[in-house]
Amino acid sequence: MEQPEIIKDRSIPFKQQMHILKRIMKFAHPYRKEFTAAIIFSILLAIINAILPRIIQIFIDDHLTPGGVTFRTILFFASLHFGVTLIRMIVWYCELYIFNMASEKTVKNIRENLYTKLHSLGMRFFDQTSTGWIITRATNDTEAMKDFWNVFLTIMQGVFGVVISLSAMFYLDASVAVWILLFAPILLIVIRFYQVYSSKTYVDMKSKLSSLNTKLAETINGMSIIQQFRQERRLQKEFEETNRSYFDSRYSMVRINAILLSPIINFLYTVAVVLILAIFGVNALSSPVEVGIIYAFTSYANDFFRPLTRLMDSLSLFQDGIVSSSRILKVMDNEEYAPEQNDIPGAQIEIGKIEFKNVTFSYDGKSDVLKNINFTVNPGETVALVGHTGSGKSSIINVLMRFYDFQKGEVIIDGRSIKDYPMRELRRKTGLVLQDSFLFYGTIKDNIRIKNDEINDREIIQAAKFVQADQFIEDLPGEYDARVVERGASFSSGQKQLISFASTIVRDPKILILDEATANIDTETETLIQEGLNRMRKGRTTVAIAHRLSTIRDADQILVLDNGRIIERGTHDELISNGGKYKDMYELQNIGLQTK
Amino acid sequence: MDIFKRLSWFFLKEKKSYMLGIFSLVVVALLQLIPPRIIGIVVDEIETDSITSKSLTFWLSILLVSALLQYIFRYIWRMRIWGNAAKLEQTVRKQLYNHFTNMDNQFFQKYRAGDLMAHATNDLRGLRMVAGGGILTMADAISVGLTTLLAMMFVVDWRLTLIAVFPLPLLAITSRVLGRKLHMRFRDAQASFSQLNDKVQESIQGIKVLKTFGQEKEDVEEFKEQTANVVAKNRLVYKIDSLFDPAITLIMGVSYFLTILVGGLLITENEISIGDFVTFINYIGMLVWPMFAIGRLFNIIERGSASYDRIENLLREESSIVERKGSIETPVNGDLEFFIKKFSYPEDEVTTLHDVRFSLKAGHTLGIVGKTGAGKTTILKLLLREYDHYKGDVQYGGHDIRDYTLDALLKHIGYVPQDNYLFSTTIRDNIRFADPSLPQEEVEAAARLADIHDDILNLPNGYDTQVGERGVSLSGGQKQRISIARSIITNPELMILDDSLSAVDAKTEESILSGLKEKRQKQTTIIAAHRISSVMHAEEIIVVEDGTIVERGTHEQLLKLGGWYKDMYRQQQLEQKLEGEDE
Repeated sequence: MEQPEIIKDRSIPFKQQMHILKRIMKFAHPYRKEFTAAIIFSILLAIINAILPRIIQIFIDDHLTPGGVTFRTILFFASLHFGVTLIRMIVWYCELYIFNMASEKTVKNIRENLYTKLHSLGMRFFDQTSTGWIITRATNDTEAMKDFWNVFLTIMQGVFGVVISLSAMFYLDASVAVWILLFAPILLIVIRFYQVYSSKTYVDMKSKLSSLNTKLAETINGMSIIQQFRQERRLQKEFEETNRSYFDSRYSMVRINAILLSPIINFLYTVAVVLILAIFGVNALSSPVEVGIIYAFTSYANDFFRPLTRLMDSLSLFQDGIVSSSRILKVMDNEEYAPEQNDIPGAQIEIGKIEFKNVTFSYDGKSDVLKNINFTVNPGETVALVGHTGSGKSSIINVLMRFYDFQKGEVIIDGRSIKDYPMRELRRKTGLVLQDSFLFYGTIKDNIRIKNDEINDREIIQAAKFVQADQFIEDLPGEYDARVVERGASFSSGQKQLISFASTIVRDPKILILDEATANIDTETETLIQEGLNRMRKGRTTVAIAHRLSTIRDADQILVLDNGRIIERGTHDELISNGGKYKDMYELQNIGLQTK
Repeated sequence: MDIFKRLSWFFLKEKKSYMLGIFSLVVVALLQLIPPRIIGIVVDEIETDSITSKSLTFWLSILLVSALLQYIFRYIWRMRIWGNAAKLEQTVRKQLYNHFTNMDNQFFQKYRAGDLMAHATNDLRGLRMVAGGGILTMADAISVGLTTLLAMMFVVDWRLTLIAVFPLPLLAITSRVLGRKLHMRFRDAQASFSQLNDKVQESIQGIKVLKTFGQEKEDVEEFKEQTANVVAKNRLVYKIDSLFDPAITLIMGVSYFLTILVGGLLITENEISIGDFVTFINYIGMLVWPMFAIGRLFNIIERGSASYDRIENLLREESSIVERKGSIETPVNGDLEFFIKKFSYPEDEVTTLHDVRFSLKAGHTLGIVGKTGAGKTTILKLLLREYDHYKGDVQYGGHDIRDYTLDALLKHIGYVPQDNYLFSTTIRDNIRFADPSLPQEEVEAAARLADIHDDILNLPNGYDTQVGERGVSLSGGQKQRISIARSIITNPELMILDDSLSAVDAKTEESILSGLKEKRQKQTTIIAAHRISSVMHAEEIIVVEDGTIVERGTHEQLLKLGGWYKDMYRQQQLEQKLEGEDE
């Protein structure tokens, strides 16, 4: 789905480009002082570049040509030149360093804004957007901004170089400088030509490279199929074609650069030198001419032409920058925010009574996945949700956790609408234990604490003991400081569950929401987990999604969901004696247990 | 410099092209000497008032011609040297690609897809730098450096030259030292960037956990620490990176200082003219790039050579699956005798299969059932010669399967794997993957047999619909059926369905299986499945557990046996009953 988007982005009209530029520039605003300093240094540098040839010119015209120059004078001019060079060195360093740091900080600013924005978005955004896409926006697209700012530096250097060397020429001899001005339209034409041809080829080259790499990645991933069908030779041939067409594109780029980039600028420079020599030479035929000025002029001509190659070369990066910017702004403009709360101050969950009143909920606004759901969970009681995949169990959790906003009805906690509680209060008081325990990079402690620094080590150990995770943790090297790498690959799924139990229980939630794991859990930890669940439920209002019906026999109420409706409700014994769907499911699982 | 020798196969192949490129570089180097000299001469003629319109026209004509020639030769060398660099990249990329397609499973387990991609992109870029930038820098540094130096000595003054170029070797040293340091710091900065990447990835993947615990603010704080670290690491980079141009300035400044000082003295002594002096100053400027480039050259070579090492390492890997000399080329057919005494995966001490024996008559169907991880797929993998190192003997049509050519064996086995990998192309080309020249009728026939034809017609572009990353997303069941069609179209002697109907509902499964049975009466089929209904009609069914066969027989025999098979069957029947109620 991404490719067409890029192609679309490529042909952003000029007006919109400027709009994007203006918006992305705002992120540079806090660093305007640095950028201004860099611009001032850039101007200074161009001025110094104009002074240096002037020193030599004066040395030649005022001292060498008349003759009889003393060693002191020579030493003076040599030292003067060197002194100015030293200043040039410092100014140049400051220009580069300050500019680069300012652009680095701008990137940091963009990244942090983007990341904060991401966290304000609701689960809908994350459920619908691929992780890879989001990551690329936050890292690579923001990284591309550095090249983008660098384009501006190059343009700035180019423009100042051209303007100041031209001014210096006018200052020295306006009648000759006018002639150099003639090159301006020629250069503009060359730049325009280069831009038109190179940007086309550049886009082509980039898209070919990307399809080349896609093909390569696809071959590597689908290798067993390819080998199974003995299609190696055919795909080799196909790849060779893609490879060649990329080469052709790159070759055209080389050609365009060879025709229109540095060779032509070099040529124009030499023509300018011819022109300068011709004018001064013709003048010299009638009246004497100061020769130093010829040196100065040729030197300025060099300053005039030299920055243009780089400037032209960097134009294609400008396009890349616009594309990256527009993608970043697309995230910034996203309005799928997390559900809003009324944030009534002082609203606190104290006993944990949950009521669902006629709740209707839909993900897409078209088909309802929950229809008129009614149930009450009294403080300290457990309600279990059972049903097939897609019956609406997880949607109830999405509503209860405020991951999504519901459309009709009311969810009431402790007599107050769920929307009245500040999000932080709601999340802190309701502990969700997820189906697949997700471990973060860090230590066991970090994974129990999960970024909440108010939780101290003693509490962590207590929580681990409570869910009996302490047994395996204390066997680890480093115990609670043992490292968790690669999403906890070295732990069994049961151990991961225990850790996530501990991270829930350490926060002492009033309401517990359990999403039981479907995956097979090793029998070793199975009993620990069951016991952990029982211990956790004690004294807490619990909503549990159960796959293994044996685990919820003692629930105060069981709701059987089907197609977004509650079709059966009651205790285990009631439901079994009713002989409905629940009974069938229960029997099925009993046979299942024997085959395990 | 070793890298140039190791790449000599390519340089030799493109000998003419490189020679023309280097020749042009040298010509440009010589032509570049003309403008400063002519400026000097004209300056002298004006200064001594000896200028005439004739001499002026003469010198300017030469200058103009030299400009034109420079343009032409610059064009030639750029085309040659950069063009060849692109060609080297293309050639090695092709080598790598072809090599990958010849590698076995072990190779792809040793090198992860991401690593292989990195080699095929970053390392190829490193190589291109050597063949382009490396050659250019070396040839340019030598030709421009040498000719300019000689011109300075002989055209202007050798004493002045020796003194003025004295600081210049510092340029090479500076660029070498700074380049190295920069590279190291740059690597640190890259590492901090990839840490940031990991951080984002982890947080986005764990977003639900973060939201659950209400820890968004803390996560943003952590992210800010990371971005601050990136800035800090890049600060170190910029401290060095911003030093390059100023360092050149400083060294050149010393050189100019000496030039003005000594040049000025020589002029007062009438040893050189003012025109010579102007020429000389211009020449000095021309030396900056070659001297600096020499230092850079070392860095390019260092990195390029490391890249080529990695590429050569990959190319040196050999597949363990090789065709024996004089392999049988007639396609496999007949009865299958399968016997594995013992098999473990490479570098794994656990025995995956032991004492697995079955025979399968041509035209019969074998069913394989068992728990996940029991070894079903491994049995099939050995049949497909994904691994050759087992104790035992697998005979097809009376010959060891390892005695056939890969074409004779694999082309006649139609394997439908568990994970249904489809390629990013049209559905039509995915189905006729084995032979893109097959006509639409055959594609449709295969699709009908796999019960996917109607689904395909309902897609936006029918058989032309793109699938994969950039195309429509298909359901698991649809993917499974497309990969079954992909296999059916080859009309294989032996068809293997490896749990490839798991995402298809019972009715569809039945229609596919009965269709296959009718069409493939004389051909052999193996069905590995979780669902008993997939295999119940097979002539023989084996139950695999812990790498060996624990129950075997026909459906009826196994039910009578009253073991795992029977329990499983009962459970699945009940499940079906429940599902039936849902509808």
